[in-house]
Parts: sequence; C-alpha cells; structure tokens
Amino acid sequence: MSSIIAVDVGGTFTDFVALDERGEIKTLKLLSTPRSPEKAVIEGLEKFSFREVVHASTIGTNALLGQIGLERPKVALFTTRGFRDIIEIGRQNRPRLYDLYFEKPRPLVPRELRFEIDERTLHTGEVVKRPDLEEVRKLAEKAVSMGVISVAVSFLHSYANPENEVIVGEVLKEKFKYVTLSHEIAWEPREYERTSTAVINAVLMPIVSNYLEEIGKYVENRGASIYTMTSSGGLVTVEEAVKRPVQLVESGPAGGVVAVAELARLLGLRRVISLDMGGTTAKAATVVDYEVQLTTEYEVGGEVHYGRVVKGSGYPVRYPFVDLSEVSAGGGTIIWRDEAGALRVGPLSAGADPGPVCYNRGGVQPTITDANLVLGRIPTSLLGGTMLLDERKALEALRKLGDPYDVANIAIDMINLVMARGIRLVTIERGLDPRDFVLIAFGGAGPQHAVLLAEELGIERVIIPPLPGVFTALGMLMADFKFEARRAYPRDVEEAFNELENKLANLKPDYYIRYADVRYKGQGWELIIPVGKPATIESIKSIFEERHIATYGFKLPREVEIVVVRVFAVKKRIKPILRDPLLEGSPEVSEKDVFFDGWIKVPVFKRDQLPLGYRINGPAIIIEDYSTTIIPPRWQAVVGKFGVLEVRK
Amino acid sequence: MSWEIVYKATEYIAEEIGVALKKSAFSPNIRERMDFSVAVVDSEGRIIAQAEHIPVHLGSFYIGVKNLIKYLSEENIDLARGDVVITNDPYIAGTHLNDVMALSPVYYENRLVAYITTKAHYVDVGGPAPASLNPHSKTLYDEGLIIPPVKLVKRGELDKEILGIILSNFKTQDYALGDINAQIAAQRIGEVRVRELFNKYHSVLEAWDKAIEHGRRLVELEYEKWPQGVYEAEDYLDWRDEIYRIRVKLEISGNIILVDFEGTSRQVEEPVNAVLGVTFAATSFSIRCMLNKEVPTNHGFYSTIIVKAPLGTLVNPLKPAPVGAGNLETSNRIVDVVFLALSKALPGRVPAAASGTMMNLMIGGVYNNRYWSYYETIGGGTGARPFKNGVSGVHVNMTNTLNTPIEIAEREFPILFTAYRIREGSGGRGRFRGGDGIVRSMKVLAPATLSIIASRFKTRPWGLEGGEPGLPARVYVKRVKGYIEEICSQTIDLKPGDEVVVETPGGGGYGALK
Repeated sequence: MSSIIAVDVGGTFTDFVALDERGEIKTLKLLSTPRSPEKAVIEGLEKFSFREVVHASTIGTNALLGQIGLERPKVALFTTRGFRDIIEIGRQNRPRLYDLYFEKPRPLVPRELRFEIDERTLHTGEVVKRPDLEEVRKLAEKAVSMGVISVAVSFLHSYANPENEVIVGEVLKEKFKYVTLSHEIAWEPREYERTSTAVINAVLMPIVSNYLEEIGKYVENRGASIYTMTSSGGLVTVEEAVKRPVQLVESGPAGGVVAVAELARLLGLRRVISLDMGGTTAKAATVVDYEVQLTTEYEVGGEVHYGRVVKGSGYPVRYPFVDLSEVSAGGGTIIWRDEAGALRVGPLSAGADPGPVCYNRGGVQPTITDANLVLGRIPTSLLGGTMLLDERKALEALRKLGDPYDVANIAIDMINLVMARGIRLVTIERGLDPRDFVLIAFGGAGPQHAVLLAEELGIERVIIPPLPGVFTALGMLMADFKFEARRAYPRDVEEAFNELENKLANLKPDYYIRYADVRYKGQGWELIIPVGKPATIESIKSIFEERHIATYGFKLPREVEIVVVRVFAVKKRIKPILRDPLLEGSPEVSEKDVFFDGWIKVPVFKRDQLPLGYRINGPAIIIEDYSTTIIPPRWQAVVGKFGVLEVRK
Repeated sequence: MSWEIVYKATEYIAEEIGVALKKSAFSPNIRERMDFSVAVVDSEGRIIAQAEHIPVHLGSFYIGVKNLIKYLSEENIDLARGDVVITNDPYIAGTHLNDVMALSPVYYENRLVAYITTKAHYVDVGGPAPASLNPHSKTLYDEGLIIPPVKLVKRGELDKEILGIILSNFKTQDYALGDINAQIAAQRIGEVRVRELFNKYHSVLEAWDKAIEHGRRLVELEYEKWPQGVYEAEDYLDWRDEIYRIRVKLEISGNIILVDFEGTSRQVEEPVNAVLGVTFAATSFSIRCMLNKEVPTNHGFYSTIIVKAPLGTLVNPLKPAPVGAGNLETSNRIVDVVFLALSKALPGRVPAAASGTMMNLMIGGVYNNRYWSYYETIGGGTGARPFKNGVSGVHVNMTNTLNTPIEIAEREFPILFTAYRIREGSGGRGRFRGGDGIVRSMKVLAPATLSIIASRFKTRPWGLEGGEPGLPARVYVKRVKGYIEEICSQTIDLKPGDEVVVETPGGGGYGALK
C-alpha cells in the first residue's frame, strides 16, 4: 500500500507518520542521528513504501545554536563601509535587566570576516556610490584564503534598489557556491534584521543543501517525491529550500497549527486556540477563520518571557512564521522549593533526558509528570504498556518538598495558571479575548491539562483531536504548497502584487494570498494585513484601520504607508481523510483512585473503544497510546465526528 | 489555596496591565521602546508585584507611591471607586517630568484593598526643549508642565478641563492624548483583574503578606552571606566644565543595607539633580544585580534597603531644582558608585564600571515646512567581569531601550548616517577587557539644532583590581567649513553637511595586565 509519509526530525527523536489511501495510519519513532541527520531518516524510510515524503527538521536551529556534531560553516559578510558591526550591535538592548554576567548572542560572522565595501544607496533608491569590483574581487580572494565557503551581502537600502548587491553578488559567485543577497531573502527595510536574516541563510545554505540533496537522492531513487515544511506552515520543494533555507527554521511546530486549522475548518470553528504541550514547553497559537496567523518577528534561539520572545536574546529572522508563543511548561517541568521555602514550578525542565523521576532514568527532581502520576491522573505505564512508570520513586521525590499529594496538587494548579495566563497575555496582546475561543489541545501532555486550563481561561469548549501524541506530524500531511515572494515600498500596489505573482507563476498555483505590512507614517511597527484583488491604497487603508482598531483599540488621522507587499502562491494538496470513530460499541470501563479536590474513584476509558456520540461525565480518565485526557469534575466529554473528543462544562 | 498561586496570579496581573498599556499606547516610545512600568500595590502602599521594564521607574515606585498616598491624605483627598489620580511632579512621583504616574484604588466589598499604579515616559511634556529634555534648564519650570496630583478621572468620568490644560502644554498632542487614554485603560484593567482575584480567592491579603515576607527572606538569606561592615566609595559626574562628587557609605548591617550619600555635592542650577526616587531606584538596581536571579522585586526586597540622602544635595534636591538629566545621567553614576562600594564588600563578584552614560542625542528642526525631531540614546561598553571580558555596544545600568534603525531614520529625517560601529579599543585594558563603546555618526542635510545630554566626557569608567579605565565619551562636529568642534552636554546649531560624530565610552578593565 503506497503512503505519504511525514518525517519530523527532532533533536532527540525522528518521528514517522505514514498514511495510506484508506486512511490507515502507521507510526514509527527512531533515535535521531544529529551528526548526520539523514541517516535516521533513511533508516526509517526503508521500513515503508511511499510515493511522497513531507519533511520537517530542526537541523537549521540546531546548527545555529551550535549543537555538538553540527559544525557551522565559515561565512563572510560584505557590508556598506562604516556599518560592518550592525550584526554585532543589534538593537543595542540587553536581554536581561539585572544580570551583570549576560552575553549577547555571539555574531555568526566574526569581525575579521566582515568586509566593508565603499558603496552607498539612499532610501530613495538613488545609488550615490558604486562599488569598485576589483576591490570586491580582492576581498573575495582573501575570504577564500581564510576558509570561507558561504557569503552574505547586505548593503544599506538594498530593499529600495538592489543594484549594488546584485553586481557585487555576481563577482562573488565567481568564487563561491553559496551566495546570499539580503534583498533576495528579506526584501524589506531595517538593516539589522535584514542582515541577520541574510547571514543565517548563508550559514544554513551549505548544511541544508548537503543534507537535503542526500535525502532527495534517496527518495528519488525510490521513485517518490519530497517536500519540506516551512516555518509559515506551507510546503516547498527541495530546490526552494536549498536556496532560502532560512525559511525552514522552526518548521516543526508549524505542523501542529496547520493541523488545528484544518480540523477547525472540518468542524466549522472560527476562533480556535491551538495548544501543543510536550516535555519542556507549551506552544500556543490562534487560528481565526481557519487561517494560521503569521508573524515576521522571530529570533532563533531567543529566550521567552511571559510567552514572548525577549528582543535581543537570539538571532532575528525576517520571514513569515506561524505566530506561536511559548511558555516553559511541560511534563518535564521541575517542581522545587527555593531557599526561603516557596514552592516553585519551572522554568527548568528535566526534558527527555533524564526526564521525570518516574521514568527511572536518573532524574531526581520531581516534575509535573510525576505530580500527575501520584495523583492517579495518568496511567502507570507509557507507550502502550512498554514503559513502566515508577510511582514509588515519584512519591519519594515529591515528599522531599512536603506532603507529596499537596505538593503535586499545588504544582499542577500552578503550571495550569502559568499556561493559562501566558495564553491570555498573548491573545489580548493580539486584540483577542480568549473567552471567545475553542481550545484544541495536543502533544503528549496537552490533553492532561487542557480542561483545567480552559477553566482558568474562562473557555467553555475544549477539543482533543485524534492521535494527539503525533498530531504535529499529522499536520504536516495536511499542509499545502506555499511559496513566498515580497518587496518593499511598492510604487503601485496592484502592479507590485502582479509582479510578485508572475514571479511565482511557474509553480502553477491554485491561488495566491496577498499580504501587506502596513503602518501609519512615522509609526515604528507594521501590521500584516490580508489584501484583496485588485489592491488599492484605499482598500488597504480601510482593512488596516479595521485591524488597527481590533489590535490597538484606536485609529489615527494619518497617512498610511505600505512598507512591504508579500504574496504566497498556494497549491492545494489532497488532504488525508480523518476517519470517524466506531458507530457503536460498549467500551470497557475500569476504575482508579484519582485526586480531584480529594480522592475519588474515577472511571477509566480506552479512547479507541469509544463510539461516536458516546458521553462521559467527569471526573474521568481517557487513555490512548501516546497521551491521556483528563476530564475533571463538572465537565462532560462527547465523542464527535473524526474521532475528536469534545469537552464542555 | 496556597499563597504561591495567588501571588503568581498577581504577577500576571501586573504583566497584563503592561500589555494593555503597551498595546493601546500611541507613541513609539511606549509601544516600541517599552518606556513604561507597572505595579500592583497594597492599601499601605507596599509594592506587591511589578512588570519588569525600566529599572529607573521600578525602584522609584517605592518612593513615589508612598509620597503620593501621603500627599492625598494630607490634602484630604479621598479616592472613590473609578478615580484615577495622575501626577508628573518629580518631587512626588520620583523621576522626571516626562514620566507621568497614574494611581487608582481597588475596592472590594467597600474596602480599599489595593492600588494600581503605572508610569509612562511621554515624548514631550512641554517646556522650551524638544522632547522636554533641556540641557540648559536652571529650574524645574524650564523642563515642562508640572502636573500636581489631580483626579483626571472622577468615578469613571474623564475630566476634560484638566485634560485640556495638559494637552495644550504638551508639544506632541496626538501622542499625548493616545498615551493618556492608554494609561487610563490599563489602570481600569488592573482594577478589574485585582477585584476578580479577590472574588476567586479568599486569602489574597494573607498571600500578599506571605509573598512580601518570602521576598524579604530570600534577600536576607543572601545578605547573611555578605560580610558585615561599612564600605565607602566616590565617583564623579562631569557636566560641561564642572565635576560633581557623589559619595556613598554603604553599610551591610544584619538584614539591612544602609546607603548614606553624605558628602555628595550640593544641588545645582543644572538639570543633573536626581530626586530621591531616582536615587533609591539606582541604589536598589545595583543591589538587585548582586542577588541571585530568582528574587521577586516586591516590597520585601525594597524594604531591606535604607537610603539616606541629605536634603539639598545632587541626590535629594529641593524644589524647584531642575531634574531632567538627573534621571538620565546622575542615575547612572549612582549605580556606578554603589557598585564601587559593593566591589569592596564583595570582591571578585562586581564587574568594572560600564560606560555610565545614556548618551542622549536630540536633533531637530524645520524641513519642508515640517517640524521634525530625532531622539536617540546610544549604548556603550559594559565593564569587564571578574572572569570574562565586558560586552560591547549595549545599553547599561538604568536604561535598556532599542535603537532606531538607520534605514528608517534616513527615510524620516534629513540625516545621512556615515558610520555605526564598535569603537574598537575603547574598553579598558586588563586581564579581562572592558566592552567597547559605539561610534555613531551622521551628516545633517538641512539646518538643524543638536542637543546632547551625556556624561563621562572628563571622567572615565573605572577599572577594578588593576584593570585600566575605559576611554571617555567624545562628541564632535566636523563642520562643513572644514574645522572640528568638540562639544559636550549642550545645544548647538548645525548647517547642512555638518557631520556629528558620537563616540561612547568603553567599560573599565578587570585585573592588571600581565
């Protein structure tokens, strides 16, 4: 049976989800091989027959963050004279207020590999100084002699007129296989962010092209095709991925949100919060009118504070990303007491290794999973019974902090509060009220916490999708092809959009999506708004003002400025069919002592035995292979179409 | 219910008030540079939770809230539900006129249980200088409009007459109106959220007491490891041709740190006076940096610090001494001098001095019949640390705002940048090098006025343990006529083609060179 396969290459595990024409799903989990990630991928693919591979990988992020085993290629940067330190100075702020020992992220290109060219373009696009190409040639030779294999070029105002970058790029192409021109990667103003994006692209090019060419060859030999997931939740070809690898950073988490958007469409839910909770972090995103929300503000390796990336803590990338906010909360989050005796939860996590105490792999500090275990809320074994959990050890570890059940209970309340308030902050920041939303929760730990979290947020309806443990990989199978092109400060908007669409026309897309980054003149930030056809300044202005009121609560009597226009060419793919559950059946029910405000006997169900329309009153526990759903008292679950669990108060 | 949960929820309320303020504010200064702060305060004026943004605001609340509550009680002003009091009087609110402070009460079951307070930096609060930052002010009246504590909102109703007085004095009215509305909205959200907290949990006040006690205990446990004793230090603030002294005697005494500024220069008729709120904020910032990271910055922490600043000095002036630059520059020097004293108490833990100036640069004028003004603060180098080099090109001490992208600035102002780079070799040498400062230079393309408010032109960021000091600041203008003019904190006229070159100080080095 021929399948399409999603491969999600993570730092620890490489996941495979295969779906055949009948909707049958098979999964496989292998240990990743970080030194040469293609090894695990090929090893896994050997076990399947397939016609198409959809692939996401954290290789980009790992390489940037200097993960052992991935050597960073030597990259040189060519800048305008006087401005070589822009990537080192960044936005001038420090990521932590009270830390005297902080470091800024180390520039990806050291100062000796930054070369200044005597050239200048004005913001009007007028070139006031052309580069001396002989000088460029000499510097290129010098870079070669210093072992550089990939170069980036970023000149001031190249978004207004890329001429100087283009002619310098031509000279560099004589010497280097990998050349990144900033305007080709991020055609927009703001020199630091554009340069940073170009440099990251230059770092990734050699790594990603080696890796993808290797896998591409293998897949081709098997007579199949391969596509790669991007951070905006679309798929691109290997050719595009190799040219602009910067769009692959953070492609993994995007899959889950794509799946949520698709499920929302199937269920007709217009306002959804997606929550993906795993071992170390919880990631939340909003899906409005079935559209994944995008952002261009992102920093690779950045730190997170109250769900938002701390400016200056990582390397900025200007590329559309699924707008995710992250909270340090997961099954592995550590519970501890500080020296003055207060109970604390996180932000440290025991991760997958050593993991929670109950995994018996050397963990000594109790975690949220340990707390759930001693309260009876999760089963005493994982992965279909193959991994036994050590409840006694978890209990001992928690006892060191006080009465183990009290500690566990408070810790879970705290982690739910942290997640709920974190989600609240990021939704109100976007001008949305979480109480108007439905929560769709997945990931290993998501269904354990979803309903309690909804209670804290004032959300009245929660949906647990089928296969919550591998939902992210499932989402990759639901993604469409999406290629992006953009330019800054268009003279005529409709003309600019047409130009961009023509540029992408060779992909034969089903349709285009147009966006514009718009602001009031003089404002320091832009809003990304959808744009119709034909695009006129007036229509853009009116959508912008509407969005401005929704997000910020006011509009201004000021001129509107279109900073960037952006087009996605979308080519639809056939979506996998989510099967409905059994039509009838009487599930087995066992019983278990669980703590909810006190110890009570709680029924335990197996999810794959639940027929359509089956009703379960909380408190109850529903178990399946890679996840457990907790239905607290006063909530009720119903098995719905496509096998979703719908939980309401 | 455990107090930890109630406290966590309170911290998130402070964060949410901050989000609300940022989200609906008009000015880039508040929205982009996050130049505002928030606190949830109990009925006695004790700080329960803050959103961490700008250090100078945060510490100043400790003084400002108490001053304001005292003022209201002395003037017999009762606060009703729905009232919002605002003031920017530095001698009450505790920073400078640009910071407008708002305070509103929270009532639960007819009992005053808390206050919400916010402070936001307004781009312009009137006065003769652009951005109300006047290097030549002689009194507070030269720095803008003084708003005494007034109820701008009475039982939910905005007082349009008071608002009218304020708006007709602030030079950028559309921003000011937007920012005031945002601040009022944020106050309301805080009030609603705190009331919800009381509805949801029965023991909020007990939880807050515990949280303060816990914050204090965490700090005390740290102080117990510090050597008891008195540590003295002196540092200097240069302002044009004058050099002022800031002297500190820091005493670690049991669970308390006493910080006495006896011996500091008298107040002056220049904008460098720092009101007590600024002095407290700077002092507590330095001490906070020496504690482990997990300490909540609530009343528990602040109450372990006692600042004695003699009246009539640079660090506790009498009204109407001007204070605009005290907040910007003197605050940084107070941080430096407290660090220097702490370095004697805790050798091997305190870095050498950082650049120590915010390097405020204001350029403006009329171009194409439009008034424009460009305001930038330029970072420097941090001091070398006891076991590693300092960081180059970054904001230090009391500020942490973002720069303006060159490509955006050139589009909006008649300016052409000629360099933005690390000032190589400016960090003090030593076993570990101080971070390097920045060079930022630009030509003006139209006639304009330049103002600089900065320091460390004449004194240098000190090294420690034999490390050399960093290079001092230097600002000069390459006149289009061909000569070079050195400048310091002052206002001068520029002609088209004049190039302003700003070089910020490097941090001090640590340890003697072998």
